[in-house]
Amino acid sequence: MAVRTEEMLLNVGPQHPSTHGVFRLVVKVDGERITEAIPVVGYLHRGTEKLAEDLTYTQIIPYTDRLDYLSSMTNNYALVQAVETLMDLEIPERAEYLRVLAMELNRVASHLVWWGTNLLDLGAISPFLFAFRDREFIVNMLNELSGARLTFNYMRVGGVKWDAPEGWIKKVEEFVPYMREKLKDYHTLVTGNEIFLARVKNLAIYDDKEAIAYGMTGPVLRGSNVKFDVRKNQPYSIYDRFEFDIPVGETGDVYDRYMVRMNEMEQSLRIIEQAVAQFPEEGEIIAKVPKVIRPPEGEVYTRMESSKGELGVHLVSKKKDKPYRLKLRRPSFVNLQLLPKLLVGRTMADIPAVLGAIDIVLGEVDA
Amino acid sequence: MAELLSQPFSWLNLIIMVSAGVVVLGVVLVFVMYAIYFERKVIGWMQLRNGPNRVGPWGLFQTVADVLKLMIKEDIVPAKADRFLFLIAPIIAYTPAFAIIAVIPFSENVFFADVNVGILYYGALSSISITGILLGGWASNNKYAIMGGMRSVAQMVSYEVPLIMSFLGVVLLTGSLNMKDIVAAQQDGMWFIIPQFLGFVIFLIAGNAELNRTPFDLPEAENELVAGYFVEYSGFRFAFFMLSEYVYIFALSSVMTVMFLGGWDAPFGLTFIPGGVWFALKFLLLVFYLFWARATFPRVKTQQLMGFAWKVLIPLALFNVMITALFKTISQAG
Amino acid sequence: MWGTGFFKGLGFILKQLKEKKITSQYPDEPVIMPDRFRGIQHFIPEKCIVCNQCAKICPTGCITLTGKPNPDPEKKGKVIDTYDINFELCILCDLCTEVCPTDAIVMTNNFELATYTRDNTLKDRIWLDKNNINVREENH
Repeated sequence: MAVRTEEMLLNVGPQHPSTHGVFRLVVKVDGERITEAIPVVGYLHRGTEKLAEDLTYTQIIPYTDRLDYLSSMTNNYALVQAVETLMDLEIPERAEYLRVLAMELNRVASHLVWWGTNLLDLGAISPFLFAFRDREFIVNMLNELSGARLTFNYMRVGGVKWDAPEGWIKKVEEFVPYMREKLKDYHTLVTGNEIFLARVKNLAIYDDKEAIAYGMTGPVLRGSNVKFDVRKNQPYSIYDRFEFDIPVGETGDVYDRYMVRMNEMEQSLRIIEQAVAQFPEEGEIIAKVPKVIRPPEGEVYTRMESSKGELGVHLVSKKKDKPYRLKLRRPSFVNLQLLPKLLVGRTMADIPAVLGAIDIVLGEVDA
Repeated sequence: MAELLSQPFSWLNLIIMVSAGVVVLGVVLVFVMYAIYFERKVIGWMQLRNGPNRVGPWGLFQTVADVLKLMIKEDIVPAKADRFLFLIAPIIAYTPAFAIIAVIPFSENVFFADVNVGILYYGALSSISITGILLGGWASNNKYAIMGGMRSVAQMVSYEVPLIMSFLGVVLLTGSLNMKDIVAAQQDGMWFIIPQFLGFVIFLIAGNAELNRTPFDLPEAENELVAGYFVEYSGFRFAFFMLSEYVYIFALSSVMTVMFLGGWDAPFGLTFIPGGVWFALKFLLLVFYLFWARATFPRVKTQQLMGFAWKVLIPLALFNVMITALFKTISQAG
Repeated sequence: MWGTGFFKGLGFILKQLKEKKITSQYPDEPVIMPDRFRGIQHFIPEKCIVCNQCAKICPTGCITLTGKPNPDPEKKGKVIDTYDINFELCILCDLCTEVCPTDAIVMTNNFELATYTRDNTLKDRIWLDKNNINVREENH
């Protein structure tokens, strides 16, 4: 009797433990091997871009909190940066430092969540708890600063909403050595583990050309040995005042992406350390902005480095208090495009590993 | 206990045997409940959490509540499932797990069957369980479940071989397949963990794989396969799969204690502590290791798992058997 | 060397047994939020001048309010009649308190909004007025 095998179509998601939200992946599997993978996005689509056309600039800020909800600070900044560029505003020194501190802390927090969940995807249950313990410190600090734990709504056009509370800077300063110590622990627990290395080394390799062709940015691009970071290549805010390196990987596998993010956390801590040292004693936290913000007519594209990659905002203004068109270049969405190609020929077990290494947040993919 | 088996059949004996079986079942159930509690507590502490602490003092009744909940839950059979197979799969998975306990001697006097091929019996029965898992996965008519079932079979086929081969060193040293004789041999000499360290390590890894526990929990890998073979099971049928998993922990740790850690043998001549206590201590140490590993390691992939079994463990086990045989021959000749 | 990673990891995990537990005993012990925390609004009807700014700035449109002429004929302007916040929509973004010229609506540190029915999520002016504990000190 001839043995007959057939491929089967498997819906991974939208309700699945390791698709990080409502992401659906339709895979065709031959046994365990994937022959085709089709990502289906849009389950969390809220139409932020369209909604923004009916909202004033200040009102859009809380909406940006909910794009990549793990790093709301960077999203806040992306929007206000676009408006400020259009209005040609001068931002007070102290506000800039507060922004940088908040953004870098948020970047560390975002990477910590990635670290925990990616390891959880690989089957290790403990790292998640350790990551969340340390993230809690950051979240608490940002809570003290902005009054919320996740959706900060902290930045305003022209500056920030709150000044640093008393003793806050000291807390941030103390956090840096603590976190450095913990990062070492993370490496002890995970990075050297042979099972971990066997799972992620030489997995889902793409080279620099492919990464650029697909428009990837952020750690997934740097993992393929492309030294590109908006903070360095086109410094915004006051990033040109800090000394930090751009960690890059060599082969472009999942392990390299892992190491890039781990090193990035260290670099963020370096930036935080310098920002704390340079922090101006006093000063304004918000520039003189008219009560109703009406940027001059024109359009602008600004970009910044969020924890997932290049977050760009294309803003068209018709000199109204509401944008004519707001287009968000969401790194998670762009980075996701390579996924079908990476998964073909891999096995079921690689789906969470590869997807986790891309580090998507569904709020940002679907916007 | 032993003389009971050789007596002629009588109703009294039957009642004694059945009630002994029920007592063991009770002991095993209590063990399973508290193993789950212990696991959750230990992993909780390792992850800086408190573990269960709501039901009863220190959460001691948490698993009791969980089991009760599973018992009174609706027993759902999917419409498109193969009904008969779906219903018997948990039973097939559980029965051999429980039957294994018969051959394990817990101390000099507490054992149920003094079987001369005890180890063989263990190896043979433990591979039947997998049929239940495969059937459960197949009968569920769920794509995740069938994948889990297939993985489970692939894993078992690979790991049964090094597991049995790692016994062989011990069997060579004792010249017996009887578990009581093996303990007796260790009481005279040293524990087999020292001369058979390689065998011990192979057994630990292969046994971990056979238990389907992290880092070898591929059949139920929740991050890829949601829950693997029991994804469609609910209520007490799910409880049975869970139960057989933990009974296997019980059985495997007991067998390891007997084979490598000297069973009820007291170390350093501390004989005033009864053998049962020593057995329990060694046994708990092994159970603790399983939980500890679960809190530490990520999961391996199927290919890696099978590659590791066939390319590393089996050659190592063969090597171990060879070396043991060689030493035995030399020492007997000399 | 191959194999050391396992033991490092195992050792690290074992060391965690003696570390401090980090679980927050939330329902047993209340969570103390920092002063700036944006919780459920407290509304002070006497201060409200019915300028409608909060309703206008609200990104989700969860505030509905109506005013009525001042009952005191000697005073001009309006006083608040109804003031409802729909907490099914409210995202606690703080913008209403930011624009309020008289601090009639302020944030509190309370965040318990769970209820059994959706009807309970619509809070009216009396409820919001009574929600007067843990009121935030600094509002701008």
